[in-house]
Formats: sequence, C-alpha cells, structure tokens
Amino acid sequence: MSSARARWVLAVTGLLWVGAVAGGMTVLARYAYTAGPLSASPARWPGDSALRPTPGHFLLVMLAHPLCPCTRASLTELQEVMARAGSRVDAHVLFLRPERAAAAWEQGPLWQRAASIPGVTVSKDEGGVEARRFGATTSGHVLLFDAGGQLRFSGGITDSRGHEGNNAGRAAVEALLAREEARAQSPVYGCALEDPRPLLAGGARP
Amino acid sequence: MSTAAVERTPEQRLEERTVRLFTQHQQEVWQRVDRLFAGLMLTQWLFAIALALFVSPYSWEGRARELHLHVYMAVLLGGVLSAFPISLVCLRPGTALTRHVVAISQMLWSALLIHLTGGRIETHFHIFGSLAFLAFYRDWPVLVSASGVVVVDHVLRGMFWPESIYGADTMQGWRFLEHAFWVGTMDLLLIYSCSRGLWEMRQMAARQAAAELASEGEHEKSLALDQALQGLRAAQEQAIRVEKLAAVGQLAASVGHELRNPLAAVRNAHTYLAKRLAKPEQAVGDARVPQLLGLMDRELGNCTRIISDLLDFARERPLMLQPCPLRPLVEEAIGVVPPRESVRVLNQVPEQLPVPMLDREQFRQVLINLVQNAVEAIPAERVGQVVVRAEEGGEGSLSLRVVDDGEGIPANVLPHIFEPLFTTKARGTGLGLAIVASRVQRHGGSLNVLSQSGQGSEFIIQLPGVAARAA
Repeated sequence: MSSARARWVLAVTGLLWVGAVAGGMTVLARYAYTAGPLSASPARWPGDSALRPTPGHFLLVMLAHPLCPCTRASLTELQEVMARAGSRVDAHVLFLRPERAAAAWEQGPLWQRAASIPGVTVSKDEGGVEARRFGATTSGHVLLFDAGGQLRFSGGITDSRGHEGNNAGRAAVEALLAREEARAQSPVYGCALEDPRPLLAGGARP
Repeated sequence: MSTAAVERTPEQRLEERTVRLFTQHQQEVWQRVDRLFAGLMLTQWLFAIALALFVSPYSWEGRARELHLHVYMAVLLGGVLSAFPISLVCLRPGTALTRHVVAISQMLWSALLIHLTGGRIETHFHIFGSLAFLAFYRDWPVLVSASGVVVVDHVLRGMFWPESIYGADTMQGWRFLEHAFWVGTMDLLLIYSCSRGLWEMRQMAARQAAAELASEGEHEKSLALDQALQGLRAAQEQAIRVEKLAAVGQLAASVGHELRNPLAAVRNAHTYLAKRLAKPEQAVGDARVPQLLGLMDRELGNCTRIISDLLDFARERPLMLQPCPLRPLVEEAIGVVPPRESVRVLNQVPEQLPVPMLDREQFRQVLINLVQNAVEAIPAERVGQVVVRAEEGGEGSLSLRVVDDGEGIPANVLPHIFEPLFTTKARGTGLGLAIVASRVQRHGGSLNVLSQSGQGSEFIIQLPGVAARAA
C-alpha cells in the first residue's frame, strides 16, 4: 500500500474511531442522565399508608427496587443524609416485592445495605402498593414529609443513574431537614418499579 | 563540477553520534511504552467487562430484567477504545500519532471506568494514574493531549450536565478551576519529570558517544600498532634470513677449510697407495701401506663428523617429545663417549626424579657433547673426574649439571663458547656447543656455564616444569 493511500486509510479509520467513541460516550451519558418518568405525589401524608409517622419528626420514605444496581448509589446518598440529620428524621426504605415473586426475592445485598444505615427501617412493599400510594415509579424515589405531614420534597438524591457524589436532590433534602428553604423536586434516576406494559395481551414479562 | 570531501571535526562527530544515540534510545523508550499501553488497553477492556458484569449486570423494570447498558458499553465501547491504539502500536510503533492516540484513548478509558463504577471518587484517580503512566513516554505533548481530553470532557459536561461535575444543576466556574488546578499541577510536575528524563538521556548519549569515539580511536591505534608489529616482524625475519645466509657462507668457508686438510691427507695417502699398488709385490712388504690406510680411515671419519655436525646445526627437525628418564639417558651418553684411563666419569643422577618430556635422540647428543667436552677438558698428564648430577627444582623443573675438574675455560673465551664456529680445539668445528645450546632452548630450557681457570667447569641445563612430568 502506498504511503498516501495508507495515510488516507489511517485518517478515515481515525475519524470513524472518534465518531464511534463519541457516539458511545453520548449513549452512555444520555442513559446515565435520563431520569425516570415523573408522577404526582400526595401533598400530605396518606393516611392509608402502613407507615406511621412519629409526631414532631420528619418522615423520609425511599421506594426502591431490591435488584437495581443504580439504587446502590441512592442508598449511599441516604446514608450521607442520615449521618447529618441524625434523630430529626424517621427514615423508611420500602423494597418492592412484586406479586408472584420468588421467596426472599427482595432480600438481597441492597436490603442488607439499607438495613445497616442507622435510623433507617427497612420493609417490603407487597405488590408495589406503597409505591403507587406515594406516586413513585422509579427506584430511589425519596419523599420527605415534615412533622405536620406536609410533603416537602419528592425526587431522587443522585445526580444520575447509579452515580454517587454531591447532587442537588440530596442537598435539598439536607437543607429541608435543617429547616432551610430548598427545592421541592428533583429527577429520579434508577430502574422502573413497575413491570413494563405488555405489548400484547398476556401479562407482564417474567 | 568538482566535489570536495569535508572532514568533520571531532566535536561535530561527537555531536552527530550523541544525536544518533539519543534518537535511538528515545525510539526504544517510545516503542517499549507503546507495548506497555497495548497490554494495559487489553487489560482494561477485560477488567471493564468483568466490572460491568459484577456491578451492574442487569437493569430492571419490576420483575423484568435485561442486560444492563454498561455490559454492552464495556464490550463494544471498551473494545473500540482499545482496538485503534492497539492497532497503531502494532502497525506504527514509536510514532507521535500512536502516542497521542494512546493518550486520548487512555483518558477516555478513565471516563468509561468512572461510568462503570458508578462515579466512585476512587476511580477518578485513574486519570492521575494514567497521566503518570503517560509520562513514561518522556514526551510532554502527549500529556497535553491527554489533559485536553479531560478539559473537553469537563467543558461539555459543564455545559450539558453540570451536576455530573459540580453536584449542582448550575455551572460553577470556580469548581472548574479547582479541577483544572489539580490536573494542571500534575501536568507541570510530569512535564518537569519528562524534561529531566530527556536531559538525563541526552547526557547518557553524550557519555556513550564519547566512550565509543574514544574506543574507536584506541582501536585505530591498535590497528596501526599491529601493522607496525607486522612490519617489524617481517624486517626481523628478513634480517634472520640474511644472517643465516651469512652464517651459511661463513660455515661453508669454515667447513671447506676443515675438510681440505683431511682430504689433502687422504689424497696424499691415496697417491702413495696407488703407486704402490701398481707393483703389488712391493706393496705387500711396505709397512706404510696399512699405516696410510688407517690414516685415510681416520681422516674420512673426521670428514664424516664435520658433515654430521654441519647437518645437525643446519637442520632443525621438529622435536619428537617422549618421556625420557634421565639416569638411563645419561648412562647411555657416558657409554658412547670414548673412555680415558685417567678420567673417571660418574653418573650421580638420582633414580627418583620427575620424567621429562624430551626428544630422546637430540638430548642424548646434548649429553654426549657435554660429557665428551668435559673429558677432553682434563689435561692428558693428570687424572680427573667428570660428574653428571641432576636435581628437582621448583614446580617440577629439573636441573642437570655436568661438572669436571679440568683446566677451566679462560675468562676471555667464556662469552663466546656458544657461538657457532667458535673453537679453541685444533680439530674442532666450533659447532658442538652451539648445537647443544640450540637444542636445550628448543626444549624450553636454558644452558649456563660456570668456570674458574684451573679448577674446572660446570655446565648447567635447566629444564622447565612443562617439559617434565612426575615419574
């Protein structure tokens, strides 16, 4: 192959490589920074919830998928929140347990991880009833109610799918727990809590 | 058109050699680090796949799961990231393009690994580790390319996803400066390290070039010395040839002179006998006939001896070394020498001596000559004694002595006795001791003489250890 031809081949290959890498990185970034769908959350503590708020305390609820890898980062951020908030808040992590799920389906490493956070109570959400009650569709969705049962925050506490680190959602929760003004919403990054809609009649995917 | 060769100065030669060695070393460094990075790229790819499978194998929607995008990206994007730089390392090792592509790819690997590990702060150290690894190239522009990727990544993220960098949903310029400060500081340190490394490589090349040029100079001198030595050797051989021709001429004259007298005596005797044999009846009773026949026999014997000596001196046949115990050899030599009633010859060579490696026939002649000279050195009018002794010296060497109590050798004669054709005897050829000395030397030994006028002489043969072996 002549040197001029070799240079052309090299230049074209290099451009294709740059394009493929840039495309791949963009796909990865879009995936990481695409939040779950938003849905309406109750403005006040739903009275029919199985959870009971402690008078005078904030109540924080996180709805989580027990097998979602992104939720590991949400739990890390929750640990940060609890370390700062201390006894001002009662925190509950509700792990989804779909209908017809296998025994102990929800009790994996994430369950253990959540249970190890001081001040956090872990329980299962049979059939996603509580998730629907709180309007949560994405794993890692956090709701913060003040002592009066008023919703103060609804959203995620990570900056992207599965990424740990400082982020606006966690900062808002921490500020609200410190009785400061902060944003009330934040995008949620994580796996879907509900089964995908079947394309054809016949039920959800297994 | 005329051309003229330009002679380079030693400084120019040193500079050229230094540059060549430096460039060669730099190329070796680049290619070696290229290969290291090719291995690293492959390792990172396999690691990324394993990491994705371990950390985030599936994404979930309720009970439904599918392979996580991270697994696809680890396989596909990781493969693409590694393939191009590895190909360049194989096809164009040591080139600037390969280094820069490796640098860019390595920093993109940092980004991919940060994604795959969920943005763990520890994975961000991969950036600094990669910069340090890239500094192995000792080529600071590579660090600029690598840092450029970090800058572009931060700028794009700051514009489109500021929260991924700053933890807040708005761009914070000072945070960007904080990141830039640490990367810049790292770059400055590594650029200094690269410059220092290059300076040391140049110094090393200069030292090696100086050493090689000095070695070449020594080699040239050595060649010139070899040529001079060859010339000297040729001249020496020529001188020896000339000397030999002169010696042969001198020898021929001497031999001619020596042969003339006995041949003249033989001729006279032959003339007389021829006349007598013309009348056989007169010859029968003539008492001089047997006398002259005896004279002819004796003189022809002298002629034979002269010719033998001459041949011995002229011919140097190769030595045929064999183990020769000394005592029997001395006994044999004493037996050959014509005895004299007034002279006692004693063999005092011990039985238990190392057995030397000798040319038996030549060394027997040496001993015969020395013993015969010793016997003849004792005046006919008195009794005398010749003793042959031997002893072992250091490291297996042997010392053989032939001692007589004759008249001794005058001091003015002593320095010349080993010269060819030098003789004080009335009927000697002057070759005997020259032959003895030559043969001893050819055995690797030495011949010395101690003599005191009126008290006798002692001829000492020293044979080296190499020529002797244990009995």
